[in-house]
Amino acid sequence: MLSQQLVYWAYGVGGFGALCVYFGLPKEGRPERRGLFVLLLAVTLGGLVLLFDRLLGESANRFVFSILALLGVGGAVRVVTHPRPVYSALYFILVVLSTAALIIYVGAEFLGVALVIVYAGAILVTYVFVIMLSQQSTEATESRFASVLDYDRSAREPVWAVLAGFILMATVAAIIVKRDWSDWDEVSAAAMTEKNTLELGKMLMTEFAISVELAGVLLMVAMIGAIAVAKKRIPHASDAVESPPRGEVGKTVDPF
Amino acid sequence: MDFIKDTLADQFWFSIILSLAIFGGIMTAVAYCILLERKVSAWIQDRYGPNRVGPKGLLQPLADGVKLLFKEDIVPGHIEKTLFILAPFISFVVALIGFAVIPWGGAFRWPWMAEDAAPLYCQVATIDIGLLYILAVASLGVYGVVLGGWASNNKYAFYGGIRAAAQMLSYEIPLAMMVLVGILTTRSLRLEEMVTAQLGVDSAAPMAALFGLNGFAWTLFYHPLAAVILFITALAEANRAPFDLAECEQELIGGFHTEYSGMKWALFFLGEYAHMITSSAFMIAIFFGGYCVPGWTWLNTSDSVLAMLLRGGVFSFKILLFIMAYMVVRWTLPRFRFDQLMQLAWKSLVPIGGALVLLQVWILYKDLPQWVSIVGNVTILAVVALIGVVVQKPITGRQRSLIKKERIVRMREALVQRG
Amino acid sequence: MVNETTQSAAGRAWTETDVVYVDQPELTMSERLYLPQVFGGMKTTLRHMFKMRLRKEKVVQYPEQKRQLRKEIYRGVHRLNRDDQGRVACVACFMCETACPAHCIHIEGVESPWPDREKYPIKFDIDELRCIYCGMCEEACPVDAIELTPEYHLVGSSRDEMIFDKEKLLMVYDRTKDEKPRKNPMITGY
Repeated sequence: MLSQQLVYWAYGVGGFGALCVYFGLPKEGRPERRGLFVLLLAVTLGGLVLLFDRLLGESANRFVFSILALLGVGGAVRVVTHPRPVYSALYFILVVLSTAALIIYVGAEFLGVALVIVYAGAILVTYVFVIMLSQQSTEATESRFASVLDYDRSAREPVWAVLAGFILMATVAAIIVKRDWSDWDEVSAAAMTEKNTLELGKMLMTEFAISVELAGVLLMVAMIGAIAVAKKRIPHASDAVESPPRGEVGKTVDPF
Repeated sequence: MDFIKDTLADQFWFSIILSLAIFGGIMTAVAYCILLERKVSAWIQDRYGPNRVGPKGLLQPLADGVKLLFKEDIVPGHIEKTLFILAPFISFVVALIGFAVIPWGGAFRWPWMAEDAAPLYCQVATIDIGLLYILAVASLGVYGVVLGGWASNNKYAFYGGIRAAAQMLSYEIPLAMMVLVGILTTRSLRLEEMVTAQLGVDSAAPMAALFGLNGFAWTLFYHPLAAVILFITALAEANRAPFDLAECEQELIGGFHTEYSGMKWALFFLGEYAHMITSSAFMIAIFFGGYCVPGWTWLNTSDSVLAMLLRGGVFSFKILLFIMAYMVVRWTLPRFRFDQLMQLAWKSLVPIGGALVLLQVWILYKDLPQWVSIVGNVTILAVVALIGVVVQKPITGRQRSLIKKERIVRMREALVQRG
Repeated sequence: MVNETTQSAAGRAWTETDVVYVDQPELTMSERLYLPQVFGGMKTTLRHMFKMRLRKEKVVQYPEQKRQLRKEIYRGVHRLNRDDQGRVACVACFMCETACPAHCIHIEGVESPWPDREKYPIKFDIDELRCIYCGMCEEACPVDAIELTPEYHLVGSSRDEMIFDKEKLLMVYDRTKDEKPRKNPMITGY
């Protein structure tokens, strides 16, 4: 009964979130509706707070969870809606960090820290690197190339993008809310054991060995592909053997 | 009185007190590191260094700090303001929070605690994945430099930031490999367990087995090559010479901090020196025996407060030695060129690192005695040297220096062409 | 075919044998492995680091110790010399001002009250911050009135302070005449 109600809550919050993202998405030639965006964001986050309150009841960790989750959701909204890619990447880091904190909070330390190392430490550095290479920090709107440089600032199909994203999210949210969480305490207690990193390692190497290997092979293939694409050698003037042979012609002098 | 005793005997409150003490200690140490750097550079160049403020110049950090505080804090007009202000704080905070898992003094009990009570750890946080925590924090450190460089909207700063990003991404790989070797040798992810593993109490380390002495099972002794590579990558990760391409005073006029001044600039520098201390502590804990002194069994294993303090002293002394090494390296070696830097990482450190990881995994898999790794290290070094002889190309070094054979071939070609 | 620029000093055309190719030296084993050379370099720096004696010999602790200068040729702060009667020796001929490559000398000459010369400077300013201490003024002076002294403690807290006027330059002469006597006091007889 309660869960049925919560599903509607989740859909409602999701709907507001969708509207919020839609109005927040930067689109060329559309007036900026900042006030509406902020209002909707506040409504969405408030709805989330109420949802968490219903969902978590009186459990001890509801404050920490709510704060981290709101940080994550708010950051995620800004990742999508921020007009400047570098800031989007930075908000993504915020999302990764708050998610990692949530994961650590439920006892999966290894997973959380691995998330930080892999995402925040490596992948997002590469993102920032690429974004920085592709555009300088000056406002491109002032230049005459504004419309050309706008390709990664402006949303092409905001309606469809928001719709697709939020249908996916509503599905996931409904499944999470509908699940019977009565055995959660046992599961989390089992996960909170002292050596859960060890257990995780054992599991990865026995039960999920094939998945791990497949993921590795996939990455390997991707890497080889990237090298193959990048290896095309552009001929350079210094590569030609035109230059006179050095040394052994005439007198050769020892430099020291 | 009992309240204080109970508070000190509680790991949570002890950790909080310790973290405050460490924060104060590290800030002082960082300030004096800067003095030490100036002194070491002066000594190496046959000078005295700063010796005017206070006896022997010992109050120089104070003067520097006051100067930087009162200096005009220029925020140029053409920058990205939020990130420009945020960047130094990121690099400073990230460098400081790594200290949380450093095992300064190991386990001990206060005199008023029961003999069988659970011992306290002289460490802010004893977490299951201490090592990964340090790696995660260190991997975030690059953002300060990169964002600072980008937000400055200045081409030199920008190049500095870009170089820093590429360099740190490249050197994180051999760093992680060497850390993996350390993990596999000591068989733990907890830094305090890694240190106790290096005491060699339980293992069949030769010195412990023969003479009953412990502290001889440093990872360094088993994997000397890995220790050297770890030191090299730590230099690169801390942006220290000869890998300081992000700063590069000569060509990039300061690199990522070109536009910074006053206290924000100082924060970058405090962050850099704090990073030096963290990375030294990290290396010491994994490879250089942590707080243990070879052969001094009492110091290494006793749970008395005196032994704990002494261990903290030993750890700090080792950190001091490492920082001196950093500084001597800085004032000895010229900077790498960027292609040499990348070549060193990808063409030598990564393959050698991979070989070392495989060696250690093989030892664990076959359950061989640990001393096999010494043989393995020597073999790997020999193979590297052999490859060097066969390939006849410098591992790093000048581009396109012709070897004798190549020269003769070129000469013949030239003669044939001339007819 | 053979033009002037391709001719050797001996007057004949360059041939292949005249060309000297300088090779880069081949890298030795330890240079290829890089680390031995690093330790070699560190040996040198560490040797210097622990050699107190070199430091003691070489370093001059400036305000307390002064450098030993070759006073006759050192080019420091200017001075305006006085003649044997204590008057300024300058005849306001503007030679130094003309010779000065940094344009740091400014002279105003008026008719001399003394019978032995036509003009003398009523104003003689040298901008010590602009001066490059080349010594051209010294060489240009026909009466050796302007000279450079071995004084190098040249400090001031403002730019105005560093523009030396006639009085100040004469004071420099009074201060330094024992250290460095006037070069040719009797050459003109003023």
